[in-house]
Amino acid sequence: MQTKTPAQERRDKIVFGTLAVFLFLVIWYLVTKLTAFGEIFPDPVTVLANIGDKFVNPLGKVTLAGHILVSIRRVMAAFVVAAAGGIVLGVTMGWYPVVEAIFKPIIEFLRPIPPIAWIPISILWYGFSEMSKYFLIFLASFFVITISVYSGVKSVDPMLIRAARMLGAKDNQLFTTIIIPSVVPYIFSGLQVALGNSWASIVAAEMVQSNMGVGWIIITGQQSSNMVQIVTGIVCIAVVGMLLVMIMRGLENKLCAWNKQGR
Amino acid sequence: MQKKKSKYLWILSAVTVVFVLFIWWLVTDGLGIFTSNTLPSPIKIVQAFIKKLTDPNPDGATLGAHLLSSLKIVLSGYLLGVVIGIPMGIVMAWYEKADLMIRPVFDMIRTVPGIAWVPVMVVFCGIGFTSKAIVIFIGAVVANVINAYSGIKQTKQVHLWVGATFGASNWQLLTKIALPSAFPMIINGLKLSLGGAWTTIVAAELLASNRGIGYMIQQARGILRPDIIIVGMFVIGIVGSLLMLPISLLEKKVMKGGKW
Repeated sequence: MQTKTPAQERRDKIVFGTLAVFLFLVIWYLVTKLTAFGEIFPDPVTVLANIGDKFVNPLGKVTLAGHILVSIRRVMAAFVVAAAGGIVLGVTMGWYPVVEAIFKPIIEFLRPIPPIAWIPISILWYGFSEMSKYFLIFLASFFVITISVYSGVKSVDPMLIRAARMLGAKDNQLFTTIIIPSVVPYIFSGLQVALGNSWASIVAAEMVQSNMGVGWIIITGQQSSNMVQIVTGIVCIAVVGMLLVMIMRGLENKLCAWNKQGR
Repeated sequence: MQKKKSKYLWILSAVTVVFVLFIWWLVTDGLGIFTSNTLPSPIKIVQAFIKKLTDPNPDGATLGAHLLSSLKIVLSGYLLGVVIGIPMGIVMAWYEKADLMIRPVFDMIRTVPGIAWVPVMVVFCGIGFTSKAIVIFIGAVVANVINAYSGIKQTKQVHLWVGATFGASNWQLLTKIALPSAFPMIINGLKLSLGGAWTTIVAAELLASNRGIGYMIQQARGILRPDIIIVGMFVIGIVGSLLMLPISLLEKKVMKGGKW
């Protein structure tokens, strides 16, 4: 079996990836043009043209870019707060048994409720305001991040801690030199999952009630039976979701390069 | 020393839970800071739960009937997705030819949250059973394909070489080496997609439905009944955890402590 260099492998991936997407679009085009499916589903050219058009002409109140930015702003505002809170709570829960005993039962109780199930109560409490979205995204990310960070602290090799203690490390030294570095990968995996959750939740929340955002695009498309608009929305959701994941992964690779090399 | 401590910590946990419930009661029924139209007291929620077990008002079905309706959709879409998704993932990974082409397409579809397919399906098949089952099915297929696929791909080449050296056929290589190494990933896919399916059905029922647990909480919002909403949320959480049990059991039984 011949082995490929990483550069070759990456080139292959990009070439075949592009080819695959292109092929997918061609098949999509042919299916809609040649079969009855095309009567209810738009072909990719129409969708792409619509996307281009809506970047210039407004859809509802704002352009497509405006809708995307609104959704991203909602996610980011709450996500950052949840990340900060979740990391702090996760670390303290993992480190101090007392804090763990206080918060763990509450978190374990609330965690299995999917964020989407909070939508009705968030609307009831906060109405039409932006706050209902922030509240939801906060819940969608906070528990995931907290639990991930907490299990990260719990899984720090006790051998390392004991060795450091024996060599006279103080608590804060333990913290900065052992705990933090070993928890960083867990923080990132928590953030990664939380961001995906948040994106799915904001789409759902906007579909249930909103007057702009990517979820709004598809739900108003449904209400007017405008399949082109629905598919436009789905494509935007997919592309933005993919970009968010890629940015997060890039950040992780930058900050945890040592971790990757160590493996 | 550590052991003794943990006994008291258990008590601390119990005290916290009681304390939270007490504060909750205090700000609602006790002092009346929140009216039962915004946050009902824990007692009212228990009452609402008991009442909803037998009373089809105000949304047309009992809690059990709603739950059953949601479970039926989730399980049919999910099981079909599993039965088709896992073999598809295995085949995709084992026969390399199409591999580089199919993978990017699946990665693309995966980024669309299940809920976003709801409007498409509603336009196709209305708001009944079929449209939601298809949405669940799409989510389950994609997750299971990707996990089965990555599992097979992670098989150590060395193991396959050893097998081939000792004269294993292609079929034996697959069933004796690749499948066992892929098993943890496959289980992971089963879990992820079940969680996803349960979330998606709730979302789909919030949007377009006339029955189901998501429909129940959405209706309760419309008529300002937060007690029913909260009952629904807890039921969703508990049922979601219970659904995972059979998969965890399977995992324990087959994986022998997570190690091969």
